[in-house]
Amino acid sequence: MDANEAQSRMQEIQRIMERATLFTLLPGAPAVIGGLMVLAGCGVSYAMFRSLDFADILHLSVNGQIAFCVMWFLIGLIGVLLEVLFTTRAAARQQLVPADRPMRVAAFSLTPSVVVAMVLTVKFLLPVDSMVGDTIGRFHFNIGREPKAEEIQYIVPVWMMLYGTGVYTAGLFSIRPPRILGLVFLGMGVVALLCFPQYGLVFAALSFGLLHILFGFYVLHKQRQTVV
Amino acid sequence: MNGPVKPDDIDAVIHERVRLSMVAALAVSPQLGFNELKSMLGLTDGNLSAHARTLEEAGYIVVDKSFRGRRPYTAMRLTAKGRRAFEHYLATLRQIVDRAERAPDGSS
Repeated sequence: MDANEAQSRMQEIQRIMERATLFTLLPGAPAVIGGLMVLAGCGVSYAMFRSLDFADILHLSVNGQIAFCVMWFLIGLIGVLLEVLFTTRAAARQQLVPADRPMRVAAFSLTPSVVVAMVLTVKFLLPVDSMVGDTIGRFHFNIGREPKAEEIQYIVPVWMMLYGTGVYTAGLFSIRPPRILGLVFLGMGVVALLCFPQYGLVFAALSFGLLHILFGFYVLHKQRQTVV
Repeated sequence: MNGPVKPDDIDAVIHERVRLSMVAALAVSPQLGFNELKSMLGLTDGNLSAHARTLEEAGYIVVDKSFRGRRPYTAMRLTAKGRRAFEHYLATLRQIVDRAERAPDGSS
């Protein structure tokens, strides 16, 4: 065996071990808890504006709109923190370092999609138009425009599609279930955007809620079968 | 392992690519199910079974067959002997690469 073949084999071994490591660290419990929090959030949202349409946030008072946004921000933040906590604990049990390449690859795969979704959410929610001013690097903000109901309706489908894209990409470095989860999110997001944008709350509950719960239970079931 | 790499240092059981992949995956998992391993490595049932048998005969893995409800469930895990063989194989690879890097003309 020459040095090139030895090098190639070492890279192949590393790739396989990373893939297997990601499998053992797939977060099941945080997916279930996150899904339950989303369902609760959908329930509270419905109680706030008595509608399945996210655009009806426009009918809330300013304080109501702020409370609505803070609630969903906290749900997202707690979901991420739970994921980090559970993954770190699982990694410690497996005597792995969470900041190792597999975890970084998964995090980096998901981050760009989430950042784009956040930027679009801000753009849809805030009545802000920006354009490059006369001076390079300075921006002029036109606060006068009103937020549009149809743009707010895009928030849930956009999150579903971009989250699905991120999960699918992260799944490329792991096993099949995360890739399938990503594709289902993507497909549901397309349907929500093109056919039912006015039912954002239903799609949020079905995807980020129910789908996460089902995925979490599936992962927990598989890991119970796998771990001695 | 400081001397030159001899043909005997390459473990023929692990050297085969599919078996090497199986051992590498099992090295970082307490246990993997037949279907998980098959999906992870993109193998067919027959291919995985044949290579699992070879590894089992060498004493490198243990294959546990049981039932989950009414469905048969096959799981594999690496034995201590298998882990030692894998670590020895990795050390051999590293030695070959290190030697090539130290060689003035880059040859191994």
